[in-house]
Amino acid sequence: MSALLEVREVSRSFSGLQVLKQVSFSVELGSITGLIGPNGAGKSTLFNIVSGFLDADQGAVIYAGTEVGRLSIQRRSTLGLVRTFQTPQVFPHLSVRENLIAGCYKQTRSGLLANLLGTPGSRGELARMQREADAACERFDLSEVADRPAGKLPGGQQRLVELARACIGRPRLLCLDEPSSGLNSEEVALLMQTLQRLNRDGMTILLVSHDMDLVSVAAVIHVLCFGEIIASGPLAQVKSDQRVRDAYLGV
Amino acid sequence: MRDAPHVLAPSSAIGRATRAWPFALIVLAAWAVLPAFASRSVVDILVFAGLYTIAGLGVSFLLGQCGIVSLAQSVFYGIGAYSTAFCATHLVWPAPAGFAAGMAISGAIALAVGWPVLRLSGYFLALATLALATIGHVLFTEWDWLTGGTLGIGGIPPLVLFGIPLNSPQRFYYLVWPVAFVLLALHRNLLHSRTGFAMRAMRDAPAAASVLGVDIHALKVKVFVLSALLGALAGSLFAHYVSFVSVDSFGVDRAIGFLLLAVLGGARTILGTVLGALFITIMPHALSGFGDIHAVLFALFLILAVIFLPDGFGGALGTWFTRWRERRARP
Repeated sequence: MSALLEVREVSRSFSGLQVLKQVSFSVELGSITGLIGPNGAGKSTLFNIVSGFLDADQGAVIYAGTEVGRLSIQRRSTLGLVRTFQTPQVFPHLSVRENLIAGCYKQTRSGLLANLLGTPGSRGELARMQREADAACERFDLSEVADRPAGKLPGGQQRLVELARACIGRPRLLCLDEPSSGLNSEEVALLMQTLQRLNRDGMTILLVSHDMDLVSVAAVIHVLCFGEIIASGPLAQVKSDQRVRDAYLGV
Repeated sequence: MRDAPHVLAPSSAIGRATRAWPFALIVLAAWAVLPAFASRSVVDILVFAGLYTIAGLGVSFLLGQCGIVSLAQSVFYGIGAYSTAFCATHLVWPAPAGFAAGMAISGAIALAVGWPVLRLSGYFLALATLALATIGHVLFTEWDWLTGGTLGIGGIPPLVLFGIPLNSPQRFYYLVWPVAFVLLALHRNLLHSRTGFAMRAMRDAPAAASVLGVDIHALKVKVFVLSALLGALAGSLFAHYVSFVSVDSFGVDRAIGFLLLAVLGGARTILGTVLGALFITIMPHALSGFGDIHAVLFALFLILAVIFLPDGFGGALGTWFTRWRERRARP
């Protein structure tokens, strides 16, 4: 296997506080990789650097063999690197179906003028987007709520809408930020099944979480503590690592 | 108000469209015969409502679909009007040249100013556009070699269409409203397209929209330019209609008027722009019979409208229509 994402010696500080200290890790192509760590470990900062919401002070983010550290968020997204948010970011005034239609944006090409004039190409494109959105509604079990405003759904379903919207653009690397927060155990189990299914379909997944049950779907787990990777490996190995037990699990 | 969900041409939608035809025909017929019965001053007000619909559509689209508060529309309205006035009187160019010059200058300025300014958001962006409106008004006054300053520019010839000079409210009415409705239809197309969804995504959750691949800044600038083009087009039409333009027509109060019509009409609905434009043109005249207190009454109406119709007239109408349809659908 080769690495789809490689984070090389990334450092970042805020007002003199070193949050990430030369962090290096990789996400193998076709894998589910977990990134765990206690609160304040630097997970969110690292995640934001990978997805383009923050710049690293030093180091490189290599995605599919290309340095993407200076590329914009939307450029990374166009290359197939897509993220979700810790608090689900649905488009609250759009229906679930419309959220998914918006998710098709980067697979479509028509410009503002063609859209304004309502050219046949533009209309055909919208029909294709609608078909894709309907199919995604079925795949993610959202058909019953397809016409409801996404902002009115309970938290668990909003998370599912966000996940479905991220997947509709067929990302190569799906980065999930605490996807189980706010979900009950039944919903977490369903989420785990969904992630495994997406992974079987060929999607590489980077999972940032503190939920040990959820990260059990990951083949490799990196443990981040005070801005450093202190352990890497399968869950059982990581759990038995003394440094991890001391620093994170508290046992 | 939430826009109606999109469905792939279901049979019920086709049925609804068929039932809507007679209603649309009645509205069209009423529109067509109105100038024959209404007084000259009433038709004049309706012409202004049409002009404000065109300029207000740009503001409404920015506000309702992109979440951008713009108070700069009076500048683009003024540029359109002065371009037409200057081209028609000083250069004696044909009317289309004035329209083209106004739209080109407005578009270029919107691009040059919008590129840096649209990196701001919320109140800061609103204040920046207010500054633009103020600067524009000062320049319109000071550059009297171009604009005629406080004296203005007169003698702008009326538009001539198929050999008929559009030199009366009745005649101009039949130009301005079809133009407005074509523009409304084009914007409806835009709303139901890839770009329209990207705009609404950007309005609701900008970070999530950029993750979907939307270049938020570029999209904001494009819509701002489009809005400026509408402002300029309305300004050029205004200049031909009134045949005299002066700086009084392009002050900050005009900019506020355009924003007001977008808010009152309900910026998230296309039709709301028309309702907003009708309200801000008709209402002051309707209340003028009350003498000195008419301005107070108008303000009172505005406050009541904002309190009781937070989604504007268009939003309230949409909610009412949805409820009515649901009631009918029940067995």
